[in-house]
Amino acid sequence: MTDVNQAIRRYAPFWVSILAGIALWEIAGRSTSKAFMVPFSGTLVRLWQLVSRGEFLTQLYDSAQLFLTGFLLALFIGAPLGLLLARVRILRIGIEPYLMILYATPMVALIPFILSMMGFGFAPKVLVVFLFTVFPIVYNTVEGARSIKPELIEVAKSYRSTEWSLWREVMVPYTLPYMMTGVRQAIGRALVGMIAAEFFLSSTGLGQLIMGASQDFDTAGVFACILVIGLIGVGLTRLGLNIERHFARWRQ
Amino acid sequence: MAETAIGSGIVSSTPAARMATPHSGNFLPRFVAGLAILTAWELVVRAAAPGYVAKPTTVVLAIPRVITDPAFLQAFGSTLMAVAEGLAITLVTGTIIGLAMGRSDTVDRVIRVYINGFNAMPMIIVLPLFSLWFGYSSGARIATIIFAAIFAITMNVADGARSVPREYLEVARSFRSRRLRTLTEIVLPASMPYLLAGFRLAAGRALIGAVVAEFFLSIGGLGYYILYNSRSYHHNEAFVGVLLLAAFGVGFELLVNWSTRRFMPWYRRDEKIS
Repeated sequence: MTDVNQAIRRYAPFWVSILAGIALWEIAGRSTSKAFMVPFSGTLVRLWQLVSRGEFLTQLYDSAQLFLTGFLLALFIGAPLGLLLARVRILRIGIEPYLMILYATPMVALIPFILSMMGFGFAPKVLVVFLFTVFPIVYNTVEGARSIKPELIEVAKSYRSTEWSLWREVMVPYTLPYMMTGVRQAIGRALVGMIAAEFFLSSTGLGQLIMGASQDFDTAGVFACILVIGLIGVGLTRLGLNIERHFARWRQ
Repeated sequence: MAETAIGSGIVSSTPAARMATPHSGNFLPRFVAGLAILTAWELVVRAAAPGYVAKPTTVVLAIPRVITDPAFLQAFGSTLMAVAEGLAITLVTGTIIGLAMGRSDTVDRVIRVYINGFNAMPMIIVLPLFSLWFGYSSGARIATIIFAAIFAITMNVADGARSVPREYLEVARSFRSRRLRTLTEIVLPASMPYLLAGFRLAAGRALIGAVVAEFFLSIGGLGYYILYNSRSYHHNEAFVGVLLLAAFGVGFELLVNWSTRRFMPWYRRDEKIS
């Protein structure tokens, strides 16, 4: 019984707050013009129409493809690059300031260049997601490498550890938690990159769906898309946090 | 909690902090690497890309031409003003909401879900909605900037306000300090490092928000300048705009770092640097 009580006490404010928000949304939607805001119920109806016409799922699939391709590419290039920079000190010192500049540069500004050089198609969009994603991964991996105590590498070396086992047993385990912080940041950025690519390069996926709705003054469609993409964002952020937390246990 | 800037910013050192730390032996490798990157870029573009594509030599030549161009200066001023205005509004409202969240459990319980949720949303998704609401105007740009930046500040200030040492508040209470006074004179200064970390994050996002809004809504500004010039194959001119944006991004980092050190010397963010 006390468990149930505790659970209620813990989750009740959350659900009350969610329900209050939905109620507020409904009231605001009903008391303003339809072109300005659509109530929660109207948004759900529109969402159901989009889903049942099959349009929604194909676009979602398109977006997911773009997201995953760009993200995995960034992970498989960014992580080894980060580790390499971590191991070769002189390279790290040389390249780090430029990485930091790229990390701080708003990558969206490069989209017009990518558009005029690579045109439309899947590849330029993947490049955009990649550019949004790769720097947090590289940057945090390098950050992790700084945290490796030099003594550890010295000990490994004095035991005549081979380069391979040094990587496997010291470098990777030590940098992994940091890399996962990068992965968490990268997930959020990849989502922004995905939408930006779909907005400003050839229009596909959820980006196209929401832009189309906006151009048709279909406010309900816009709300439906924002709701879904928002929930995807929340879900992915959660996933990222869980991944980070899972690996953070290694970090002392 | 980990999704605030604190997790990645303050406790560990920030990139800019590291760059600012003088290391005499580091200059040479950095210089060589920079030179290598620029040379590689120049050679690749010369060998493989059409003539209009930006490369270091032509970009450098374009700089004096661009920064004396009144159209560019106007675009730059317009974006700068919008970002400043948006950030000012964000800073005030975000701090107030954050303080309320940090010091009142009820407020926190009611709105935390939404703050977290909006923060996790890819911010540019609201552009189509804002274009419906505000039209293709600079109002929509300000709204985008605020939406992009506010949650970072709110979350950080809330975390900061919650982490104020209990003793401070107890002392305040035993001196019968009023609630508002405690808030402005104890809680706010004590959460300053968090606020600055949030500001650093927010400034970057505000900049992205401004550029994206200009792309999407075709309103005059630095982002539109870049878009327009790269569409008409003036890549070098457009790239000067990108350089300026990058300088902004780095500049904000350095500013926040500097002010943390200058005004909060007790807050050692760089402790971990070896």
